[in-house]
Amino acid sequence: MQTSTMLSQLASGMLVSIEIFVLTLLFSLPLGLLVALGRMSKSRILSGIIKVYIAIMRGTPLMLQLIVVYFAPYYVFGINISARFRFTAVIIAFSINYAAYFAEIFRAGIQSISVGQWEAAQILGYTKTQTFFKIILVQVIQRIIPPVTNETITLVKDTSLSFVLSVAEMFTIAKQIGAREASIVPLMVAGLFYFVFNYVVAFGMEYFEKRMSYFR
Amino acid sequence: MAEVLLEINNLKKTYEDGNEVLKDFSLTVKKGEVVSIIGPSGSGKTTVLRCATMLTPISGGSVAYIGKKALWEEDGKVCQASRQDMKEIKKCFGLVFQNFNLFPHYTVMQNIIDAPISVDKVPRQEAIERAKMLLERLGLSDKADHYPFRLSGGQQQRVSIARALALQPKVLFFDEPTSALDPELTAEVLKVIKQLAAEHMTMIIVTHEMQFAREVSDRIIFMEHGIVQAQGTPDELFDSDNARLRDFIGKFTS
Repeated sequence: MQTSTMLSQLASGMLVSIEIFVLTLLFSLPLGLLVALGRMSKSRILSGIIKVYIAIMRGTPLMLQLIVVYFAPYYVFGINISARFRFTAVIIAFSINYAAYFAEIFRAGIQSISVGQWEAAQILGYTKTQTFFKIILVQVIQRIIPPVTNETITLVKDTSLSFVLSVAEMFTIAKQIGAREASIVPLMVAGLFYFVFNYVVAFGMEYFEKRMSYFR
Repeated sequence: MAEVLLEINNLKKTYEDGNEVLKDFSLTVKKGEVVSIIGPSGSGKTTVLRCATMLTPISGGSVAYIGKKALWEEDGKVCQASRQDMKEIKKCFGLVFQNFNLFPHYTVMQNIIDAPISVDKVPRQEAIERAKMLLERLGLSDKADHYPFRLSGGQQQRVSIARALALQPKVLFFDEPTSALDPELTAEVLKVIKQLAAEHMTMIIVTHEMQFAREVSDRIIFMEHGIVQAQGTPDELFDSDNARLRDFIGKFTS
């Protein structure tokens, strides 16, 4: 097999990995915020349900969650699963898993804002919703950038778990080529790709952190 | 007769843990009056402000602004005004906090104009004009575009006063406005409050600055153990022969 063919195949996998990464962030961050708000809800039932959800998401292997999400439609609803569902299942599983982690980060961030900010806003006549979106959220985002960066970097590497559902992302392809050619090179190339990807992510987050440090 | 702006009657506050902070507190404030509340820590001074500004729910008694009942007791239960009335009542007062509570992600200007614009629906240009005038009055014109963290404590407190004034409250509460400041910065904040008093702003000030309270107030209230122990004009209080009061004032003015 020619190096150029291998690289072009890996490159197409790389695009899928990036797609998984972007879509997961797009869904899990807002979902995580909602979950955090539910977790802090005055309703014992809601916060209880959310606690169980977070416990399951954090307490079981992500790889198992991928498998469960993929097979659930068949075992629970008796729906025949099409191969195209693989990719959707990956996005769903990653999103609900990462939402649980992001939720806890959001919760810590929200609770770290002094109650004085809420009180000042209340006296000035802001509604609770206005206070949250205009006053609190920006401060929360500034504070949670470092732990969110951590999770984001982990996500880049976790996208490789999609191989259990044979989604043709970087790692799946590297493993296939490696097995066919009896070579470790494709996996090494994949490793290099993850490293560079994360380097870019870390760089971007650092830039964002700097941009957000205009206030203290 | 000046209009009565605030009327608190038989206010009681007991926290969940059974701590009875306010036993029976009454206060009537007329337009243009400056009232200071003094007393040792734990006497309930701050709780009075928190209850009057509805940051803390009351356990009994009543609170009314401009003749409109905000909170009152009925059959042993505390009731509160309808949403609509409450909205109007809450526009009557402002509160300046001990530790400023400015919004750190907003510039000085944004801190002052945001509530008028997004709460009172004041046109942006008008809000800016108003803010500029306030900053001018408080000697902060050159700080409009600064973020709070770049200001001294005294400047931050003056901005928070400007932020409260921007909503044009009828009554302004101060909760130990200089307790987080060193003597020099304290002086600049007290100067601003004196200026407001001279302009006949109605104010209720919780403070430990005895000399300031004496100079600025029409009336001083001395609280201890959740009740008013003594009240009167500054001269009446400072020359009182109430032993506890003399002892307390003596500690602060020596």
